[in-house]
Amino acid sequence: MQKDLAELAVTQAQGLGATYAEARLERHSTEYFILKNGVLDALSVSEDSGIGVRVLVNGSLGFATTNTLTKDDVRGAAEDAVRVAKGARRRDPITFAQEPAVTATWGVTEKRKLADVDIEQKLRDVTDIEKDLVATKIPLAARMFQASTNRIDKYFTNSEGSKITSYSPRVRLFYFLTCVEGGDAEQTYRNYGWSGGWEALEEWKASERILAEARSLERSLKEGKKSPEGKFDLICGPQVSGIASHESCGHPTEADRILGREASQAGKSFITADAIGNTVGSSVVNVCDDPTIKNAIAYYEYDDEGVKARRRYLYKGGKIHEFLQNRETAAKLHTRSNGASRATTYSLEAIPRMANTFVEPQDHSFEELLEGVKHGIYMKSFMEWNIDDKRYNQKYVGREAYMIENGEIKQPVRKVVLELTTPAFWGAVEAVGNDLEFEAGFCGKSDPMQALDAAMGGPHMRLRGVHLR
Amino acid sequence: MDDQLALAEQIVEKATKLGAQDAVADVFKNRNFEIRFSQNQMDIANTWRETAGWLFVAVDRRLVFTDIRDFTKWEKVVTDTVAVARKSQENPEYGGIAAGPFHYRQEHPDPKVIGLQEGGALVEAGIEAATKAGATETAGSFWRNEEEHHLATSAGVRASRHGASLYYSIRALRSLEESGHGVECSTTLSGFHPERAGLKAGEIAKRADKPQKGDAGKYDVLFDTLFLGSLADQIVGRAGAFAVMAGLSPLKDKVGQKIAHEGVTLYDDATAASNGARLWDDEGVPTQRNTVVEKGVLKTYLHNTSTAKLFNTKTTGNAGLVGPNSYALAVEPGTATKDSLMREIKDGLYVTNTWYSRYQSYVTGDFSTIPRDGIFRVKNGEIVGAVKDLRLTDNILGVWQRMEALSKERQEVMWWGEVSVPSVVPYGLARQVGFTKSSM
Repeated sequence: MQKDLAELAVTQAQGLGATYAEARLERHSTEYFILKNGVLDALSVSEDSGIGVRVLVNGSLGFATTNTLTKDDVRGAAEDAVRVAKGARRRDPITFAQEPAVTATWGVTEKRKLADVDIEQKLRDVTDIEKDLVATKIPLAARMFQASTNRIDKYFTNSEGSKITSYSPRVRLFYFLTCVEGGDAEQTYRNYGWSGGWEALEEWKASERILAEARSLERSLKEGKKSPEGKFDLICGPQVSGIASHESCGHPTEADRILGREASQAGKSFITADAIGNTVGSSVVNVCDDPTIKNAIAYYEYDDEGVKARRRYLYKGGKIHEFLQNRETAAKLHTRSNGASRATTYSLEAIPRMANTFVEPQDHSFEELLEGVKHGIYMKSFMEWNIDDKRYNQKYVGREAYMIENGEIKQPVRKVVLELTTPAFWGAVEAVGNDLEFEAGFCGKSDPMQALDAAMGGPHMRLRGVHLR
Repeated sequence: MDDQLALAEQIVEKATKLGAQDAVADVFKNRNFEIRFSQNQMDIANTWRETAGWLFVAVDRRLVFTDIRDFTKWEKVVTDTVAVARKSQENPEYGGIAAGPFHYRQEHPDPKVIGLQEGGALVEAGIEAATKAGATETAGSFWRNEEEHHLATSAGVRASRHGASLYYSIRALRSLEESGHGVECSTTLSGFHPERAGLKAGEIAKRADKPQKGDAGKYDVLFDTLFLGSLADQIVGRAGAFAVMAGLSPLKDKVGQKIAHEGVTLYDDATAASNGARLWDDEGVPTQRNTVVEKGVLKTYLHNTSTAKLFNTKTTGNAGLVGPNSYALAVEPGTATKDSLMREIKDGLYVTNTWYSRYQSYVTGDFSTIPRDGIFRVKNGEIVGAVKDLRLTDNILGVWQRMEALSKERQEVMWWGEVSVPSVVPYGLARQVGFTKSSM
């Protein structure tokens, strides 16, 4: 990478009056393909390099970017950033929380290097899963796979002396299945994500799990009946724990959202800036966001402002514990950044984001969780979900779900609806399992929209007395 | 501009010399500018200088797309892309690209939009209008977009275009639960009025005074334009043939069937002057007005050349890099007014915006979406108060089948995530729409 261009951008911006300047020089080497009903619809192989320059001038932020990596264009980007910052008319100057300058190099190890595995092999590996699905004779009327790899080389530098070089290879696999029988249909999708090499497919046990999912679709169609309505004990699978931790814990604890900077797009939060310590769930609820989990899709060691990454307890012991911060929000809230600042690529500003968000596992085995349920429902996975923009009213509709009778899993049930408030969800958690599974997602925020790699997960959890319909 | 068109032609020529039967190259330049603001002041100004391109090749029905981000390496990119195509898998559904040349409309971007160097005054005009209307807090973004495209294909297309547009989005708040949203789209500076968006957002926020928890049930509903734009996007945005074949659309096998109320006509039209206007699709086929739903009946899916052949029809000029896309959506106006639609409601709701639309089944269309910003209780044709914490839980086709009347006034809307393409839409009145709420 032409690191000198990043240094040039920072020097140029300082020379034009920036009190702070940073540059992110990135190269994304990507492969992406879609397999639709067994046909390779699209294959894309690309490389994108460029630089983003962010500056503070007289308390205003400016950001400019170019994908043309010549000295003239990089100087032009630095000039643009300073010019537009000078044009911004702020009453309250923006400042950044103090952070030490860092010199570091980090990277993710690949057991099977993405660059060494030919695209033919990658296509074949995913096509084989598709062929296995077809061989089951399950009536899958539509099948879609999307697979992608992204090798991200990055160099970050700022006017405070930070110089951080990193390499982050990532793999994603998404599938969407439609099972139709007797005029009735069930659908499902899942997202897998991995920081590492092409070993990802084996590590996920992708083939085995997708086949199991297809069988459960068919069983739901053949044997499943609409779930009963009433008050039940509920066992949530890791996918449900994961989506709830992302939607009703991770998002509402984003500091920029709390401060109103996302109000027009991703919304605000029911959590206020002075709510640290307020109760939001039962005492067994710990929800973390942790970028340092090896091989999780959102693994990183330093964020896009050069701040060291660490685990953040967002909810701890059922109380609001910590917000996701970047340097701008941390200064406003008189605290320190906790390394949550990220952007999808060089051409966009970094803002507070979740990384790998999950319910912290505790001590119950799955069997022990089940034993405690006399008459309840096990919602293993979900299909429809959403939450309001203050992150208070959420809904999850079961995809794979079963009745539980006297601690045993019984017949499948369809379309179990869990629609409740955030405190009601986390307040009903009575026991937390000792397992942990992650799923990948694209987390949407910012303007322009930044759909960012994120993981969400958790163990099985037991909720007492929730209303289901 | 001629240099970049010549470069697009060179890229196509090299790809075909290397063995591609079909090749399409688009060389483009984007010069965009954005101001984000919150708490009534600017947060950041962003500028983009992007000069890049994309290339599509078909080698023995093996299809590959690539981005060309560094033109100093374009020849290597073309060589590598054709080589990758040779190693790829055959797509038996591939039907080629459209044979040109074609004639295109003229495009005349507003020089005042192109010459606009900053947007601070425009941002402040919207904020001022919202705060005068009663808002205490505003947030949003202002965009000035300019793009040049130069397209060449191995089937005889050679074309250049230059467009520019403005966009403003503002959310006005008096508290967390008292808010409104307004947007403004224009391709001309003289037609761009951010204060109009600010005023609308501020007035909704003020009217959403002290909302009470709403009750679940079925309501007659007046949809404001942002909400109706989202509902229309759920139909036209899912009318692409790719979505239909992939199981991502409730419109499969429904061409010729009644899927909406007889008063509903929806079309995709990138030929009209709007922020979604474009001269051609990704194969170079001139865009056209495509009536997707006419008087409630589904008339067509959106196609590229390949999907059109599969469906035994003609391309609709909606080719995208992967599958057909909607570019600019419109809902035919009705004969009512917003006020007369409101008067039709004896006991219902007026909803102004929504987000997070998600499906339990794309096959059936069972979905939910969460109203945000002002939600109002309407009784005997008048707003009697604001409510909150409701979720629209229904079937997307069912909602459109019960869309009994539309207003004659329309607005162009587009919004973050939910109204994905510029859409010219009226207000709409639907009967007996399902709403649910949190149980605890």
